[in-house]
Amino acid sequence: MLKWFSVTPAQRPLPSVLMSALFVLTFCCVLSLLLGAGGLAPHASLLTLLGHGSADAEFTVFHLRLTRTLVGLFVGLTLGIAGALMQAVARNPLAEPGLLGVSAGSSFAVAMALVLGASTATLTVGIAQIGALIGCLCVIGTAKMQGQRNDPIRLVLAGAALSSLLLAMTSLILLFDQRAADEIRFWVTGSVAGRDTSTLISVLPSMLLALICILYTAKPLASLALGERVAIGLGHKPRRIRGIVIIAVALLVGAATAIAGPVAFIGLVVPFAARALVGPDIRRTLWLCLPLGPIIVITADIISRLVAQPAEMPLGVLTAIVGAPVLLFIVRSHRLPTL
Amino acid sequence: MTLKRLSLKKILLCACITTSFSALASEHTVTTKYGNIQVNDNVSRVVVLSEDALDSAIALGVKPLGAVATRGGDSVAEYIQERANGVKIVGTSRQNNLEAIAAQRPDLILASASLSQDKYNILSKIAPTVVPISPGMVSDGWITLARVYANALNKSAEMDTILNNIAEREENLKAAITTHVPEGKRTAALARWMPQGPIVMSSQIFASDVLASTGFVINDAGVIKEGRPHSSPLSLENLSKVDSDWLFLATLNSEGKDALNAAKSSPSFSRLNVVKENKVITVNGQLWTSAAGPLAAHAILDDIEAVINTKMK
Amino acid sequence: MIPNRLFMPNATQETVPPNGYKLLTLGHKVRILIEKKAVVRNIWLVLILLLSCVMTLGIGTMMISPKEVIAVVFGHGSPMSQFIVQDLRLPRLLAAVFTGAAFSLAGCLMQTMARNRLATPGIIGIDNAAMAFAVSSVVGMGLSIAPSAMALAGAATATALAFGLAGGSGTRGYRFIVAGIGIGAIAGAVTQLLLSQVSIDVANSAYPWTVGSLSARDPFMVHILGAGVAVCLVACLVFASQFALLPFSDQVITGLGANIKYIRIIALVLCITLTGLAVSVAGPVGLVALVGPEIARVLARYRGIPLVSSALTGALVMVIADLVGRTILSPIELPVGIVTAVVGGPYLIWILIKRSSRSSL
Repeated sequence: MLKWFSVTPAQRPLPSVLMSALFVLTFCCVLSLLLGAGGLAPHASLLTLLGHGSADAEFTVFHLRLTRTLVGLFVGLTLGIAGALMQAVARNPLAEPGLLGVSAGSSFAVAMALVLGASTATLTVGIAQIGALIGCLCVIGTAKMQGQRNDPIRLVLAGAALSSLLLAMTSLILLFDQRAADEIRFWVTGSVAGRDTSTLISVLPSMLLALICILYTAKPLASLALGERVAIGLGHKPRRIRGIVIIAVALLVGAATAIAGPVAFIGLVVPFAARALVGPDIRRTLWLCLPLGPIIVITADIISRLVAQPAEMPLGVLTAIVGAPVLLFIVRSHRLPTL
Repeated sequence: MTLKRLSLKKILLCACITTSFSALASEHTVTTKYGNIQVNDNVSRVVVLSEDALDSAIALGVKPLGAVATRGGDSVAEYIQERANGVKIVGTSRQNNLEAIAAQRPDLILASASLSQDKYNILSKIAPTVVPISPGMVSDGWITLARVYANALNKSAEMDTILNNIAEREENLKAAITTHVPEGKRTAALARWMPQGPIVMSSQIFASDVLASTGFVINDAGVIKEGRPHSSPLSLENLSKVDSDWLFLATLNSEGKDALNAAKSSPSFSRLNVVKENKVITVNGQLWTSAAGPLAAHAILDDIEAVINTKMK
Repeated sequence: MIPNRLFMPNATQETVPPNGYKLLTLGHKVRILIEKKAVVRNIWLVLILLLSCVMTLGIGTMMISPKEVIAVVFGHGSPMSQFIVQDLRLPRLLAAVFTGAAFSLAGCLMQTMARNRLATPGIIGIDNAAMAFAVSSVVGMGLSIAPSAMALAGAATATALAFGLAGGSGTRGYRFIVAGIGIGAIAGAVTQLLLSQVSIDVANSAYPWTVGSLSARDPFMVHILGAGVAVCLVACLVFASQFALLPFSDQVITGLGANIKYIRIIALVLCITLTGLAVSVAGPVGLVALVGPEIARVLARYRGIPLVSSALTGALVMVIADLVGRTILSPIELPVGIVTAVVGGPYLIWILIKRSSRSSL
């Protein structure tokens, strides 16, 4: 283990890093089953896991906590990968779905749906995905205009302007419908509690589509990371790759947002951590993002259950409070790395 | 600077506006959050800026000229709509329109206890503005407010009669409930349903007060701490804490059934005993969680009476 | 472009202003270079602003004719229209003019500094932090300090944090901006948290602070803001020749003998003061900072930095936006922040989509 720290991240063997991450993830999942805001103590939960619990305890552990752990797993997975893809395609370590207005796009679409009569309990995934896609398209528009000349700030500025616009539009439509306003103020803080496993199944088709997109673009994306000319020289079409990746990101973020609401900064923190562990190669970081995303979301969710008992702290608030320092740390590191 | 120089003139001017309609009448003093104010004994042009004030005024037979829209709508709350027919809307609970208020040329404004100082400064130039001292989150706080509004309208005696009637009706219902429901089977919780968990209403809000005075024992799951806001989201794991003999589920939708179905689709909700025993009662959120006042009390008592007739007999 | 040598801050020899400019010398050190066209342009803007002010004072739930408005302003008119104009509309109008000018001027400075048309003071988290503090005051966790004072405190806190975390202004102030984004995100999350913890009625009373509104603002803060805008505007004029260097690269500026750090800090301080004061009056009305300078730049045809014009266009946008908000859905008022968003939004998207062959500013 100690040997890791003596070599550069790029030299670390991926399988062993991946295995340790998976180990940590398993640990987090078990912890997530053991801890909660309710009266069920950890050792009682453990007994329940081993098959010696009361009906109530079984319900709490196997239904409530297992479901939210699964949802956390899914949300972390999608947001982590979406962040990594977005950063790779924008060649910008600050590119994060939340910062770039993709989540704001989803929120806007959800608010629109709520006003038109949907309820947060019966929200369809498609709506949030369409909103995310709109957000992404605006980002592409920006990227086109700004030319992306090694200037990470510009994209973020555009994203922030876009987010504030979308948020204001959301407030506007909520002005006319207070029921929606009342529902959405709980939705925007993000949470993985009380979700149904059936919603996970309902996003499966779009996830498959996203997976195909990712598999198709993984290699070209890695060459794109070396520069547009290199990618063209290797016979790839950068424009098409970007388009496909953006669609994949929209599908991923839209699905995660539909299920858990806007959960900020995961897309920023996860790729950052992955790069710190295995170096900047997208083919390596993408693999590592798979376990890292869920680790962070599930850990945040566990904390969110414990700090405000018997209620829970909203997950989105917690990830913002955890994620923003990481953003600051990236900025404070000697120079902004370009991808 | 120009504003400052004109201030003396403004005071005179406002005095003109406020007294022009009721010169020579006698006045009485009302104690408010922003000091004692003099109110004419016979006001006729009243604007109300809170739902409690609207309720109290109409209960006392004073039809306001203007009122704010209830939340979730662009007019007054459903339960009072018939009686408040023709009342002009002068804003929402989020933001009221000062010009529309001034345009009514009121001689009294009844505002909510949470009116800010800046707003008060302007409103008090239009007409004497009654901002009750907030009684805080205590039992029967609504009665305190209703009495303040009644005093402002110089109808304290009438309000006493109305409140006595309500107390009497509550006693009657309590008697009915005690005969039909055995002791120890009368716990009740008031909550709203959210996908990530229920929001439990404090045992000290208006509707809980009314419930309690009809013999129900209010269970707020012990989540509302002293001095805390009137509702609190609860973790699903603690849902069993709201499991009472009766559960009043408030919805802001017009169709309570949707909310109940949404809640029932959650396994943690349908596990509750109160759900299994079919003792969940959906109620109108506008009335049960937002309104307050004598008419609202009667409307809630109507709901409770319906429960007695359908589920207890 | 204007010849650079004229902007050398320490030029000692007699300088001759180029065609179309006039050099104003105050004492030995302060020189203000005035573009004659800009003066004409700004006079026009002032006239338009005055016209829309008279209109704004007249239009509303109660209509008052322009003649009557002018009569009221000079102390005549009926008592009712006097009350409506002097007590309701005039303070609101002043708040609109001052906040619009402040946001827009701050935006212009910020965009010049960041060399990006999309940069707003809100980007460094001032808006969000002020919002979070004001909301905490409204929902009853603010130690019973008035929301506007809390908003000012929030703006100051955000700035101090961003400065501290960024460790100075850094290269091109980027760190500062990104630190601000982080702080803004936290403040936004805290606001959401606060709003989800209270009853809907309390959340409603905090609502104007989350979108930006001009209804019944604290008159004391409006006066302070007015004074602040005046001072900052004068400061901008005095430092205009230095600020004109900001669009160039650091090497060029240093090569011209100017102290880049010093210029940037002055611009930043002005920008933050303006935004902080404006936010504490009106709450976050961010898009004015984007739209105001943009219009000013179009009017100025991208010559120099249109500081005064930005302030004027910002005020104009704000006044008109508030007029629209008050009247369009009467009797229900739309908060001004929402109107600017709806009007500014399409404009922003247009900027985003338009392929600009011009420089990034």
